[in-house]
Amino acid sequence: MNPTVLFVAVLISLVTLALLRTTGSKRLLADGGYIEGVETTTREKPAGILRWITTVDHADIGLLYLILATVTGLWGGIDAMMMRTELVTPEATVWTAETYNALFTVHGTTMLFFFATPVFTGLANYFIPPLVGADDMAFPRVNAIAFWLLPPSLFLVRAGLITEVIAKVITPLGLPTRALFAIEPPAIGWTMYTPLSRAATNPEVDLFLLGLHLSGIATVLAASNIIVTIFTERDSSVNWANLDIFSWTMLTASGLIIFAFPMLGSAMIMLLLDRNFGTFFYSLEAGGAALWQHLFWFFGHPEVYILVLPAFGIVSYVLPKFTGRKLFGFKFVVYSTLAIGVLSFGVWAHHMFTTGMDPRLKASFMAVSLAIAVPSAVKTFNWITTIYNGKIRLTAPMIFCVGGISTFIVGGVTGVFLASIPIDLLLHDTYYVVGHFHLILVGIIVFAMFAASYFWYPILTGRMFNQRLARAHAWVSIVGTFLTFSPMLLLGMMGLPRRYAAYPAEFAPLQQVSTVGALILFAGVGMWLWNMIQSYRVGAVVTDADVWDLRETGQFSREWEWFERKLSRK
Amino acid sequence: MNRPLSAIAGGAAGMALLSVMLVMFEVETRSQIGLFDVIARFVGLPGQTALGFILFALAGIFAWPLLFISLENYLPLWPDPAVRGMGFAAAFWVGFIILGRGSLSGPILIMYGITTLLAHLAYGFTLGAVYARLSEESP
Repeated sequence: MNPTVLFVAVLISLVTLALLRTTGSKRLLADGGYIEGVETTTREKPAGILRWITTVDHADIGLLYLILATVTGLWGGIDAMMMRTELVTPEATVWTAETYNALFTVHGTTMLFFFATPVFTGLANYFIPPLVGADDMAFPRVNAIAFWLLPPSLFLVRAGLITEVIAKVITPLGLPTRALFAIEPPAIGWTMYTPLSRAATNPEVDLFLLGLHLSGIATVLAASNIIVTIFTERDSSVNWANLDIFSWTMLTASGLIIFAFPMLGSAMIMLLLDRNFGTFFYSLEAGGAALWQHLFWFFGHPEVYILVLPAFGIVSYVLPKFTGRKLFGFKFVVYSTLAIGVLSFGVWAHHMFTTGMDPRLKASFMAVSLAIAVPSAVKTFNWITTIYNGKIRLTAPMIFCVGGISTFIVGGVTGVFLASIPIDLLLHDTYYVVGHFHLILVGIIVFAMFAASYFWYPILTGRMFNQRLARAHAWVSIVGTFLTFSPMLLLGMMGLPRRYAAYPAEFAPLQQVSTVGALILFAGVGMWLWNMIQSYRVGAVVTDADVWDLRETGQFSREWEWFERKLSRK
Repeated sequence: MNRPLSAIAGGAAGMALLSVMLVMFEVETRSQIGLFDVIARFVGLPGQTALGFILFALAGIFAWPLLFISLENYLPLWPDPAVRGMGFAAAFWVGFIILGRGSLSGPILIMYGITTLLAHLAYGFTLGAVYARLSEESP
């Protein structure tokens, strides 16, 4: 039979089956929930793997997000280690320049879209319902869909490697593999600048764009769910004045997602059309290169705040617990979050100061970029004043928060310099930029994730982790971060451009220091992974929900009360 | 389940994970390390990757797990078999990187060390954890 006919027949029968299943006595609502008043039965969750692939429970989905993000984070980490290996010697001796290009492309994409975003969505899924006093997220099924769109989009984005694995496995069976080998890892940079991305002949670039689009849909679905949950599912005792700071930052970040991600989606669809259907959105003659940059950075700059705001939220949430004080200036931390949310849409063109844009436009973007430092500084000063005179307990989450503030100050202040046009003209596209944003991405975003993973570990697993190892991990990470990324600031000031596999020999010592730092960071991640897995197996079972002695200072917050109720039901 | 069978099951699970990790690392590092050539050199059959890998897998499923339980009372490190398994595998890793290194040199040794160490530790951990679970030896 003709394969097309067969395919259509299968599709029709599947749709018919699905229709038959759903046209029973129950009526579906548009969001997939059932109309109230219809008799429903409650069932136990199925056991084993079926539980995890059919779950609509916010906690289960939260865990799925966290597990997926752990895998992708390690994967992106291996990419980074490969880059650092290449950069040990000035010549491109280890990997080819093309492989190096693919490495920084997939490292950036994997880390931003499939590691950092899912971690915070996972934490939000798990903890926002208990924090706002809801039973579950507003749309449990949408929640499940939002998660399950991510694995296929990851597959598409990283298809170049995955198809090669499949090809390697089926080669001995004598099956045809040419098409599989033709799909190579994309080497267009995570910013996908045209005309390169428009002209690239590698078919993987199309899959890459489709995969990112799919992940954007997943992210928007998750963000809508978070917003609706916080607005409509709050317990009567939770109002806007006493909503916790983590939920506030997730709410703001989700708002940014709603505005930013559709922009990326549309821009990528136009690029796909240009590549495959002969349209001219990004043709050079029509100023397409600048158009892409504007569209991309209108998404791209809010994206960094989408990642950093939840991290700020975690630091603001965890820090007071271990200083025995309330968050200093809570209201102003919320205001600064909202201010960053609004301002983040007015700074995008500071990525384009070297493009020959009208100087008057540049100046306005410079002004807003400098202005956004104010709310960031408000937060930093509030954190410092929260610690001031507090009863400090240097637990692992606390060390990560304090370390995160210190690396954020360096990463943030270097960003203020970059916002200034004359300095940016010198430092644009150098290692200085890489050092600046990694001091924030690793320095506070990843640190906040580690802090959260330790702080909430007892709730997530019912067990306690190895605290001494965790503290060691925290110190190792602070050293590793400074050692890896400070040399990059120097390399950039000495004029070394980023994104090259080979470089002049005089930069070798600093590059090598940076690689040593990366190895230390990587060792720290190993300590974390070991602690998470091993403590889950053999860690001390938690029987008293007040693991961190929070009652003493009246900070035994809602998620811990929720945990206590869960423990007492056992 | 009795101890030898549990250990072999642990070895099989560990070997499955190890193989997947090695294939992923091999592709990820664009075949520059040639992990399967490393394995062939390690088992003493340089150049014969398929046969070398089969021998390597058989050893990982049968020989090392049985050696692991016969040495159990003598192995150091904590009472947890999974941790003991990691120590055990790390010892093999030392042999692996020395015997399999071939002509690899320079910075690529960093990735060579990291990828093979991760794969071995994962193997040892799985071997010990599955063994502990099946033989009901408390961790």
